[in-house]
This record gives sequence, structure tokens and C-alpha cells, in this order.
Amino acid sequence: MDRFRLVFTCAVLILDTVTIQAQENDSLYFQFEPDSLHLTIGDSANVKITLFSEDSSLSNNQFLITGAWESVGVRPWISNLEGVANVLVKVFKPGSFKLRARNITSDRFNRVRGSMPITVPFPPIAKAEFIDPPRTAYEGTTIKFAVRVLDQAGITRQDVQPDFESSSPEIADFDDFGHLTVYRRGRVQLTVRAERISSSIDLRVVRNPVRKIDLSLHANDYRTGDVITFQAKALTASGRTVEDAPVIFSFTGKAVYGIGLPASGQITPHGKFVAENPGDYTIFATSGGYTASKTIRITARNIQKRAKLVGHGLITDVFTSDLWVWQGIGEFKDRDFAVTGTWEANGEAYFWEVTDPSNLVIIDTVTVDARTVNDVKVSADGKIGVLTREGASTRKNGVVILDVSNPYDVKILSEFNDGLTGGVHNAFIYDNHVYAVNNGRKYDIINISDPENPWRVSSYELNTPGHSIHDVWVENGIAYSSNWNDGIHVVDIGGLNFSERNRHTILNNPVLQAAGKGSHRNPILMSSKTDTTGRNHAAFPFLSESTGDFYVIAGDEHFPFGLGEIENMVPANPRGGYHFLNMNDFKKPVEEAIYQVPEAGSHNLWVKGDTLYTAFYQGGLRVVDISGELLGDLYKQGREIAFYLSNHKNGRMSNATMAWGPQPYKNHIFFSDMNSGLYAIKLVEYDDDDGDE
Amino acid sequence: MLLSWLNMTMMMVMNKKDFIQKLIFTVLFLLLIINPLKGRNYYIYVTAESQDEVHVVKFDGKKAVVIKDIPVGVWPLEIEGPHGLTISPDGNYWYLSLAHGFPFGHVYKYETGTDKMVDRVELGLFPATMQISAATGLLYVVNFNLHGEHEPSTVSIVDPEEMIEIKRVETGVMPHGSRLTNDGLKQYSVAMMSGMLYEIDVLQFDISRTLFTGRNKQTNMQHSMGSMDHNKPMKKHTKHKMPKEKPTWVYPHPADTHVYVVNNGIDNVVEIDLRKWAITRQFKTDKGPYNCEVSQDGKYLVVTYKSAAKTGIWDLNTGQELVRLKNTRRVTHGVVISPDSRYAFVSVEGIRGEPGSVDVFDLENLTLVDHAEVGKQAGGIAFWKMVD
Repeated sequence: MDRFRLVFTCAVLILDTVTIQAQENDSLYFQFEPDSLHLTIGDSANVKITLFSEDSSLSNNQFLITGAWESVGVRPWISNLEGVANVLVKVFKPGSFKLRARNITSDRFNRVRGSMPITVPFPPIAKAEFIDPPRTAYEGTTIKFAVRVLDQAGITRQDVQPDFESSSPEIADFDDFGHLTVYRRGRVQLTVRAERISSSIDLRVVRNPVRKIDLSLHANDYRTGDVITFQAKALTASGRTVEDAPVIFSFTGKAVYGIGLPASGQITPHGKFVAENPGDYTIFATSGGYTASKTIRITARNIQKRAKLVGHGLITDVFTSDLWVWQGIGEFKDRDFAVTGTWEANGEAYFWEVTDPSNLVIIDTVTVDARTVNDVKVSADGKIGVLTREGASTRKNGVVILDVSNPYDVKILSEFNDGLTGGVHNAFIYDNHVYAVNNGRKYDIINISDPENPWRVSSYELNTPGHSIHDVWVENGIAYSSNWNDGIHVVDIGGLNFSERNRHTILNNPVLQAAGKGSHRNPILMSSKTDTTGRNHAAFPFLSESTGDFYVIAGDEHFPFGLGEIENMVPANPRGGYHFLNMNDFKKPVEEAIYQVPEAGSHNLWVKGDTLYTAFYQGGLRVVDISGELLGDLYKQGREIAFYLSNHKNGRMSNATMAWGPQPYKNHIFFSDMNSGLYAIKLVEYDDDDGDE
Repeated sequence: MLLSWLNMTMMMVMNKKDFIQKLIFTVLFLLLIINPLKGRNYYIYVTAESQDEVHVVKFDGKKAVVIKDIPVGVWPLEIEGPHGLTISPDGNYWYLSLAHGFPFGHVYKYETGTDKMVDRVELGLFPATMQISAATGLLYVVNFNLHGEHEPSTVSIVDPEEMIEIKRVETGVMPHGSRLTNDGLKQYSVAMMSGMLYEIDVLQFDISRTLFTGRNKQTNMQHSMGSMDHNKPMKKHTKHKMPKEKPTWVYPHPADTHVYVVNNGIDNVVEIDLRKWAITRQFKTDKGPYNCEVSQDGKYLVVTYKSAAKTGIWDLNTGQELVRLKNTRRVTHGVVISPDSRYAFVSVEGIRGEPGSVDVFDLENLTLVDHAEVGKQAGGIAFWKMVD
């Protein structure tokens, strides 16, 4: 009976307590004084926060105060026992934030929260100035003025639209975008203003001697994608060239297909024009009210070929990752082999004989402790292979070094995981060294001269905040890495020794000409360029055989629908393309062209001659003509030679193309598809009906 | 007998208030005598770190089955590494740490039931274990930095309603295990490569005490505001002497009197008295102890033995290991005990392409009851709910 009374009593007390507590917390509220803050970066302010009961008396409830890491600092974090806090708030970044308060209670259903807005504008503008403005101008011309706006933090402010002003609009006047139209001779003061900061320059307008424009081009048959250089000369009446007269280029046109397809193209300020569609285009050169024009006929590039399937090594039970194809050595020197990795599987790499590309056969399997073998590489001499490891059961990951001299019986020589526990996503073998991307933070350079005893020589790591690296490719003693937000890095690891054999290669490559000071032990940065998309994923060097221009092709990878795809378990739908960075002046790389397939995403690539081979995920394999000068959108210019959509009903994911990486090899193109294995294709003419799949 | 008692009770009702009081009394009486285990289902969330999935496992007292597979992350073609899991105290949300990023990891917030992603916040390198404080309602996440340089890392404090990071508290090298006392006022973590236990006072947002987790060098440091400025980063430790203890987990006793620290490197679990701030007992375990948990009734300590591929069940009163049971595969990882103290659910990673598993141990009968196969490298595990 006592026990029952005890239980009963407890029940009553519990019910009563809960009721009282619920009544208390339902009525608590925070008051912030002031009720909002507007601060500049680095400023601080005092805020009094009180937690009141319903009857406006002090609640006698303690509470916590919080800001935001690295943005809003608060002191103290906690109120007094009565429920009052005098808080010092300090702000470190621009943006919109909240100062928050929450009471301390284990009754989470009745936890009371309050907040107060804090607005921190960007720092005030410190400088607004013209960039390299002219001091004289010809009457009757139009000049675009470039401007730089900097704030007090030294940051260039792209979000601030400057105002332009002319002291004498009848002499020269600006539009809203910084284009100055010069009407007549005289002197004028030009001002650029951003917020309350301004700067001015004086401009003298002189008589314009231009009386005609001479426009010429090299006569030829031009196709879409061909870059045509127009030479424009502004001439006086006597025919003297006015060197500094500004010439504006423009074009109009009519596409062959009529109104439905635009006569689209691109023309640069220096007169380089490229057409995307066949048709007739008229290019204009204008200066000082005088214009010249030329009409040209652009024909279709017509380089398309058919990608014919020659052989397919179907993999049905696991995802396939990267590949490498090579020629055997020793007793196998008359045969060809390939290796493919596996992804989110059992740590296997498959070795294939591909001598007959129509008959791709797995001849050996190497299994390592990993769930993903993301990358596979073989040394140039065909002796040593490397597999990368991620998801090892021991969490040690690293790389595995193989003897592939007999691809029918591949042997594991050693494992190297010292400091590589975070996983190696990509690797490259060059000059008895493995370049291994370490935990996505840097690449380690590992000496494998004695492949059974590899050792780390050095590392290359960026020093930017939050840096991350995806891949590295080494060619002719230069390492090209792709570093997401930080873009591509071109690193000297020794270049090429000057010899009769290498002379031509070096002299034709501006990067190689300057390289040679670095080494495996001492990699030296030569050049870098951030990716405007922030998603740099691949980097591949390309020396054009047709023009001698040197590019680094920078790939970007993006999964804008990633969350939904994962949640709905549908095939991935990435985006991204390749940016052609002209490295002729390697200290100032300039993006000149882009290749991107609509509604598909770029992955790995290879260049051979003046042809780009690329795996475009759901867009399949793409083969692109990158000969000649490059400018603009290569896809729209009809430079794509061929494509192949790989997929199989019995693939790991059925009927879903997901090309991973290509390698052109001996008149065939081998590539791996994540969902269906290894492919060998050949490019044939469209009317080649020599039996296909 | 029960019915006659009820009749008597009803007949004795003199007024409405008496009747209500006796009704409450009757309900409580019934609750006291009814077997609480009849028809109870247990629900657990578990991660598959090498498969970018989280699974919901249901156990009905006899059989464990996977009832849901939840793909996680936002990069379909990169393994983002789901590692740590916790459920909000109200059971409405679960929180998941994704260890890998470019380069920083994230904590994601999902709704329980629908398992829809609600929001995420970027934290540090390899965010791992985490828990929400009952007192503050804030989420405490260790940034494990498992594969980085051996330098001090941090505990991130996150507002889980807004999913914003409020503060980072610097602790030691490779912090792991983030657990709070039941009153929610102290958060504990260990630093694997510092050999230290860290206590954060949640009301001060700072470290209040540290303790070396081994026996020989008892470094007992009391921290107070102003004695060490934790806002300034410590010097980078490019080389430091790695402790042999390598603590990997800490778990508080439900009475908030002790914590239990797993020393993976020396195969023991130490019991630390929170009042004395000293090691009071040591339990010699099998090879490679990794995680542990104490049952809500304070009776059992369950320890996972990663290297031995076993799970040990200890009687905390006697300090004796009752049984050491083999797991269904290798690389034993995490453990969570049902709130009724009846079952321990242990995640086991597996090797390479082998599925991971959740092994279910009966703490009364000290047996392996069943297991459910999940994705590769099963790791983080959290108890969601019991449903009768």
C-alpha cells in the first residue's frame, strides 16, 4: 500500500510540475536593446538582452547568447542568473546575421529562443579609378573605359556599379556602361564615382584625320570554327595609316538555314572572327564615323565521322573507374594491354589483353584492400603499374606498386601509405616517381626507383585557405595539377634536358623554354590560373601542331542536381566543360576557347596531335578537332568529329551512359564507362558500312 | 485479482476528484506490472562510409532487418564518407557528418521518417562524432582531421535549428568521440594523437578541464577563462610524440558521475571519476577497443574491439567482463544501447566489398541475437526510437 501511495503521489507531483513548467516557459520572451544593429566590419556594439516572464518581470532564467563563427563574435556567452546579459558584439564579415539567445533548460519542448538582426555592409569604397585611360582621343570615336573599384579591405568590388561623368557632355559623354562617345574637339574632365569616392582625368580631343577604313583578310575558304583575322586600317585622306585610331569590329549575317538558326559567331576587339553556323557574314570595321565591310561565306566544317564500336569488355557487377592502355614488353612486346579500376566495390583492378580490340579479355585481377581503385597508371617503359586506394579496411589507403611486365600475372611489389591515409584519388608515374594526390590536399612525389621500397621525396601543396586538389598530370618534366577553386597550377619538376632529341620540343614550348630549375625534390610553381567556375577538375597540356600555340586545357566538373539525383537514385546529370588557356605567355594565361556539351558534364581527357578525346559522362565519348586557332565555343562551331554513347542493358547501371576516361591508342580509342566497362571504338567515315554492332 | 481491485476502487469514488486521482493511480499500477518488452520494435540509423548511404534498421526482438536505404551526399561520383550520426532529442531530426569535402566536411540535417535533407553546414576537416546537449540544444561536433597533419583540431559548436556554426573550440590532435553528460552541461571528447580527454563547459563555450588518459603521466589540468587563451591557435605540431594510449572514445555514465574512455592503443578502458578528475578503474580489454557505451540503467558497459572483431559486455558494478562475443565479420566499429538497457547494436565495417553489418546483442542473455547486413564500412550508429 505504501508503494502504491508513493507511485500515486509521484504521479500527482509530476503532473502538477509539468503543468507549472509549461505555464512558465510558454510566456517567456526575449527583449533586445537595441532591437537591431547596423555595423561596419571590425566594429562592435553593446546589446542588452533580457529574458522576461509574461508579466514583464525578470524570468530568473539563465540563457546563452550566440553569434556566428568567424562572422559575429559575442562576449559573454551567458547571462546572469536573473536573465540579463550585457553583450559586446563584434563583427568580422559583411552580410546579414543574427544575434541569438536561447534559455538553458532540459525541457527542450519549451526552450525559448530569440534573435536580433545584424547588418554588416561591405567596407566603404576606398578607390574608384580608370584603368590605363587614354589622355587624348579623336573626335567622332567611341572608347570603352575600364574601371577598378576597391573597398577599404582592398577587395575589388564587382558588385558596385560606378557612375561616369563628363564635365562637358557636348564634347564627350558617357553612357551608363563606361562607353565615351567623343563628339568634337576640346578638353574635358572625365570622372568615375563609386559611392562617395571618385577620381578624374583630363582628356584632350583632337581632330580626327581618319577619312577611310581599309579592311582586309587573307582570302581563303573558311569553315565554321576557323578563326579569321581581319586587318583594319584607319587611313587619312592621303592614305597614311592612323595607328592609334580606335577601330570597332562588328558583324551581321544570315545563316544558311534561314531565320530559324542565327548567324552566330564571335568577333574580338582585335578583329578575329569565328562563325558558329554556315552562312554569309558581313564584318564591319568602324572608326571616326567611317566604316568598311567585307562579306565572307562560311561553309560547314563537315568533319564528322562515325564512332564505330569495335570491342566491348562488359563489366556488370561493379562500377568501372579509370583506364590505361600500353604496349607489352619483353616476350609480350607484340601485344597490347589495358588496366581498369573499380569504384565503390571490392578493391579490384582488371588487366586486359587488347591486342585485338574486338576481343577485350580480362587476363588477370589484382585485389587490394580498398573499396575504390580510382586511378590506374603504367610507367612509360611498361614495367611498373600503380593503383590508388580509397576506403581501405585499415583506413591506411595510399598506393600499390605493381610489376606489370607480365600482365597475365601481375605482382604486387609494395604498398606505400605513409601519410596517405586520407586516400589517393589520382596518381601519375613519371621518371621513376609516382605523383600521388594525397587526401585531396596536395600531391606527394614518391620515388619508385626501387619499386619494392618506395619513399617520399617531397610534396607540392598550395597555401591558399581551404585549398583542395583533384588531379595531376606530368609531361615533359612539368606537372599540371587541377585544384578546384584555385584552378590549374603549372609546376616545374625539371622540364626536359636540352638535347638534340628534345630540342624541337623545348623550343616550341614556352613553358619548357623557361623550365629546368625545379626537380622532383623541389617542385617550383611557374604559372597558375584560377577557374572562373571554381570547379577545376582536370588539366592537360596541348601544343598545337598546326599553330604552335601552347595551351593547358582545364576541365571543370559540376553536379548541380547532385542532391536530387542521390535522393531519387537516378543517374547522375553533371555539367562542365573544358577551358582552353593560351599559355604562350605562360605568366599571363588567357582563356580563349571553351568546349562544353549541352546538358552533359566533362570528366577526363586526352590530346593526341590536334585532336581532343574526352569522356563526357552522360554525354559519352567525344572526339573534337582542335586544330588551327581556337576561339569561342568549339561545340557550337561544329568541331566535334564524333561521339559515342556507351551503355548496356546489363551494365552496373543499365542503359545509362557514364564515360569516365579515354585513351587514343594505335588507331583506336579506348575508353572506360563507369556503368558498363571497357570500350574500343574506331572512327570511320559515315558511308563506311563495314559491319558494325 | 486486478479486476476486483479496480471494481473496489471505482465503488470507493466519493467525488470526481477522487475518481481522477484513483484513475491515474490505476494506470500507473498497470504500467508497473505490464511486461514492457511485449511487441517492442527498435529502430536504428547506421552509416555505410564507403557507400555513401545511411540505413534504417528495425529489430523486433528476434530479427534485424534493413527497412530503408538512404543515399546521402551531393557528389554522386565522389565518396563523401558518412561517418557520425546523432538523433535530435525530440526524435524529429537526424544529423550526419560527411567527412570528405573540397576540403572541408559538412554536417547534414535530415528529417526522421521522411529522411529528407533539410539543411547542411560546412565545418572543418573530417567532422565525425557529435551530439546535442540537453541543456543548450546545441550540437557539438569534433573535427577529427583523421588524415591531416598532426596538429590540434577543434570541436565545432553548431546551432542545429539554424544550421550555422557558432564557435570552434580548439582541443588536441585528432579529436574523436563527442558525448555529453545527461544534464547536457559538459561535453567530452578525446584527442587520439594527444592522449588526452577534454571537457568543455557548455555554458562557457570553452575547455574547463583536460586529463591524460593513461596511467603513467597524470597530467591533470584545470582550465579557467583567462588561464589559457584558446582563441589563439596553438603552434603547428609537425612532429610530436604520439601517445601509446590513442584514446578513441569517451562515454559518460548515466548518473553523470563518471566517464569511460577507450584507449585503443593499450587495449583498455579507463573509468574516470568526474568529481576527483582522476582514473579510478581500468578494464583490460581485447585487442583494439574502439567505442563504448553504458546502458541507461548503469549496469553494463559495452565495448567494441575493432582489431579482435568482438564485442565485450562488462558488469560495471563488479568491473568484470561478462562475455566477449564474436561479431559476424571483421572491423568492429560503433555501439549504441537501447534506452531500456536490453539490447546493444554494434556496427561492423567488413572488409573491402563485403557488406557491413549491425550485430544485435542481448544484454540479459549475453548472446548475439541477429544481424542485419548493410552497406560497405558500417560505422556511425544512432538509436532512433522504441515502439511498442
